[in-house]
Amino acid sequence: MNRVDLIIVGAGPSGLSAAIEASRRGLEVIVFDENEKPGGQLFKQIHKFFGSKEHRAKVRGFNIGKQLLEEADEAGVRVILNATVIGLYQDKEVVVRIGDEVVHYKADAVIIATGAAENMVTFPGWTLPGVIGAGAAQTMMNLHGIKPGKRVLMLGSGNVGLVVSFQLLQSGCEVVALVDAAPRVGGYGVHAAKVARTGVPFYLSHTIVEAEGEDHVTAVTIAEVDERFQFVPGSEKRFEVDTICLAVGLSPMSQLLKMAGAEMEDNPKRGGQVPICDNHGRTSLPGIFVAGDVSGIEEASSAMIEGRMAGIAAAEYLGYTDAETMQSDLEQLENALDGLRQGMFAPKNRGKLIEKTEEGIDISLNLLEKGYVSDDEIERYPGVTHRKGVHPVIECTQNIPCNPCQDACPKKCISIGKDITSLPIVVDDCDCINCGMCVASCSGQAIFLVDEDCGDGTATVTLPYEFLPLPEEGAVGNALGRDGQVVCKAEVVSVKTAKAFDKTYLLTMRVPKEYAMKARFFKS
Amino acid sequence: MNNTADVIVIGGGILGNATAYYLEKRGLHAIVLEGSDHIGNGGSSRNGGGVRQSGRDVRELPLVMYGIKNIWPTLSEELGVDCEYHQDGNLRLGKNEKHKEILTRLATNAKGCGLDVRMIDGKEVREINPYLSDEVTCASWCPTDGHANPLTTTLGYYKCARALGARFVTGEFVKEIRLVKGRAGKVVCASGDVYEGDNVVVLAGYDSRAILGTVGIDVPMTRSLLECLVTEAQPHMFDQMLGTAEADFYGHQTKHGSFVFGGSSGFEGYNKDNGTPISNAITAPCICRGIMKYFPILSKAKIVRTWAGWSDKSADGVPVVGAIEEVPGLYTSCAMTGHGFGIGPAVAHQLAQLIATGETDVDLHELRYDRFHAKI
Amino acid sequence: MNSVNDRSRDIGAFVPRDDDDMLICRCEEITKGEIRRAVHDGMWTMTEIRRYLRTGMGLCQGQTCARLVKGIVARELGVSPAELEPATSRVPMRPIEMEVFAKEAKEDGHE
Repeated sequence: MNRVDLIIVGAGPSGLSAAIEASRRGLEVIVFDENEKPGGQLFKQIHKFFGSKEHRAKVRGFNIGKQLLEEADEAGVRVILNATVIGLYQDKEVVVRIGDEVVHYKADAVIIATGAAENMVTFPGWTLPGVIGAGAAQTMMNLHGIKPGKRVLMLGSGNVGLVVSFQLLQSGCEVVALVDAAPRVGGYGVHAAKVARTGVPFYLSHTIVEAEGEDHVTAVTIAEVDERFQFVPGSEKRFEVDTICLAVGLSPMSQLLKMAGAEMEDNPKRGGQVPICDNHGRTSLPGIFVAGDVSGIEEASSAMIEGRMAGIAAAEYLGYTDAETMQSDLEQLENALDGLRQGMFAPKNRGKLIEKTEEGIDISLNLLEKGYVSDDEIERYPGVTHRKGVHPVIECTQNIPCNPCQDACPKKCISIGKDITSLPIVVDDCDCINCGMCVASCSGQAIFLVDEDCGDGTATVTLPYEFLPLPEEGAVGNALGRDGQVVCKAEVVSVKTAKAFDKTYLLTMRVPKEYAMKARFFKS
Repeated sequence: MNNTADVIVIGGGILGNATAYYLEKRGLHAIVLEGSDHIGNGGSSRNGGGVRQSGRDVRELPLVMYGIKNIWPTLSEELGVDCEYHQDGNLRLGKNEKHKEILTRLATNAKGCGLDVRMIDGKEVREINPYLSDEVTCASWCPTDGHANPLTTTLGYYKCARALGARFVTGEFVKEIRLVKGRAGKVVCASGDVYEGDNVVVLAGYDSRAILGTVGIDVPMTRSLLECLVTEAQPHMFDQMLGTAEADFYGHQTKHGSFVFGGSSGFEGYNKDNGTPISNAITAPCICRGIMKYFPILSKAKIVRTWAGWSDKSADGVPVVGAIEEVPGLYTSCAMTGHGFGIGPAVAHQLAQLIATGETDVDLHELRYDRFHAKI
Repeated sequence: MNSVNDRSRDIGAFVPRDDDDMLICRCEEITKGEIRRAVHDGMWTMTEIRRYLRTGMGLCQGQTCARLVKGIVARELGVSPAELEPATSRVPMRPIEMEVFAKEAKEDGHE
């Protein structure tokens, strides 16, 4: 029998992280993944991640994937791709399909890091071609370079729905509506705001009545729902679309654990059927560990930390590290994980209505209900100040664990403080040099550089821009407000790029000065 | 809730469900206690679906023939559930002289009981089933055998018994039977619940041994872990039930198009029970190899599921069925030895008749619980 | 741990609904109405529903519909979906050709 110290099922962010830590501690590790490429969902993530430096914040997901693969290589991890684990049997026997045969392996420890699968919802027509998962849309666009459709309706306003909507726009699709049955946007406000300002209408408290079409989707009707999720008659809205994207949550792919006899629970807070495990991924079966979404739906940053913890715990289980060293290694990771699990969107706050920020400022109701902060609401946040000359306007209005902007500014104009979830403020003696580093560093695309009065009746607004083709300097178009509506004419002053911006372009437009605090997007 | 009934049935498999159904039809109220969380969770849901007479010991033949004659043909109609019963014959396949000897002996015995079963050669086999490989050189052929869907049949009986008023309680693991004035009258469960009835029927597979043991009855049996697998749906090929002289595999194509095959690795009876539904890592590949020898055409068919189930095996390979006279009011059918599904409806029907009237249409004497004696 | 579940508990009568013909299990083409009716036939666990109707027994092994079926059964029974044990997971995790499953590699040749 082929026998190794540790088998890891899944070469996504958590599996690879676990492999790296275990391998560094001397374990012989094999990672199996059924896909042809490693990295799990990371290579589909073209947006910049949140968090702090230790979480690789402001790095795009696929680049984190590349870094992880390099690390795994250096650590000597053996990753076998196109290798489908078909069963986890007793005595930690793993049977893997590789090519045209099955291979039996035994391991002294096993880490299951199989991730999650997309949920579906039903409505008349849900089985029509053209109704797809948001993750599937992402795979088509970002891995295969295929546009999922021309006109898309997105169901789901969680981070997946918001991020994928933005990516659909980037790939040239028209997103006709972003719909959610919940009364409030589920994902980060900054993700919603960057979609809303391009003109995508949000329909909260709405859901799909039916999809039309013979052999594929041709139209969709949505309607408002009341508190009991019943349709409100007369509230129907119909859109002609060729694609309906469903971003209605993920379910852990925990079948291997159930098969192996691990104690399971159905925990709605973790996204469904999950193994019962401790903070470091130990399941009820000695030597079998879990990490990442399979043990509870979160996101890639926390999955990577969980993976590292499980890798270290497995190393201790097999005697490759002592309990004391493990404890101190785990402590650092626990702090890092704790940092990610802070703020309004922390797992502990799931389902709670939060009305005020940690600073005691009212949360924007428009942001929750329409996807954007209204012009009158925006002034109350500490990142929004008025000064002479160019200065940052930080439209960050929710407490999320993220702080790259603070480090990005070479003049230390932006401060978050030691609490990573605090809203950024612009310091009093702000000495902005218009370098744009803050704009490009903000994973939420919520920072703008504004010169409210250029002296000639105009103002300039510099905004993060991630669409192709890039507008030409001197081009004239419309400036859109936070709500995506045209507010005025605008002329492109410059479109800048730099290596440090990591493909976020800085588009500066000139608008009449009365629109300095209103114009937030440029449309040719 | 009233925990008293005419009959307390222990075990919610096909035997328990069907017995409750036939009891209720006779006007006797039954409470069925199932130890697991699911109705039909033991061998009833884990077998290959054979409804056959050939290949059985002569002692159990009359009972299974009774069922095939009187119950199976109209069962779907009766239960209002598609039991997918097919009476298109059973081919028991052989590849060499040794196989031929085994098959011939079985066929001769069955013929003695009036069963139409005969030996055929390789050419005749392939006339009946053109998909079989040339390795098959002989077979026993019983045209009145067949197969059915164990899942829908078991749950169909449950549905109908429940509709007639039988009470079913799952997750109710029976700890012991208690005597009341010399009769089996009380059933005590691990939950602490107690049920009372004039009669108690033990239909609990291998667990029957421990339960019967609480009133001093021992049926000599062992158990072994058998496995099945199912393919994705295939175009319709044939309707016969198949088996082999060596029991490498057995099975059939279902109405759905999938093939259900059971088989073994040779370690049955020695497999470890770790309390999980894990099947053995080496068994399914072994079954696949067995099948492909007979059916090369299925090589590319995808296996979608495998599962394992415990089979309770009597010391002489024949089920124990009937009244346990030394404990009045106690009945059983256990140690079914892997034959329980096809024979199940007949067993249940006869047990219900026995409890209600004290008589049976089929003589059950050869299947008595106390037939086991030392060899010398 | 198994929990005592009296199948005689009154869950009310089957009431037909407008969306009963909606497909839920796409692999095996099973509708919402069939699932709801099965609950009233006494199939109260995901395992029983699956064995009775074949939901989740197709090529995707319930990856798509398991959660949907669970929601429908729970609603019909008047319990929370979390109270329903999901159907057992089975080998193989992904469908596998018989000839591949049959071919067991002798030793590790996959460096």
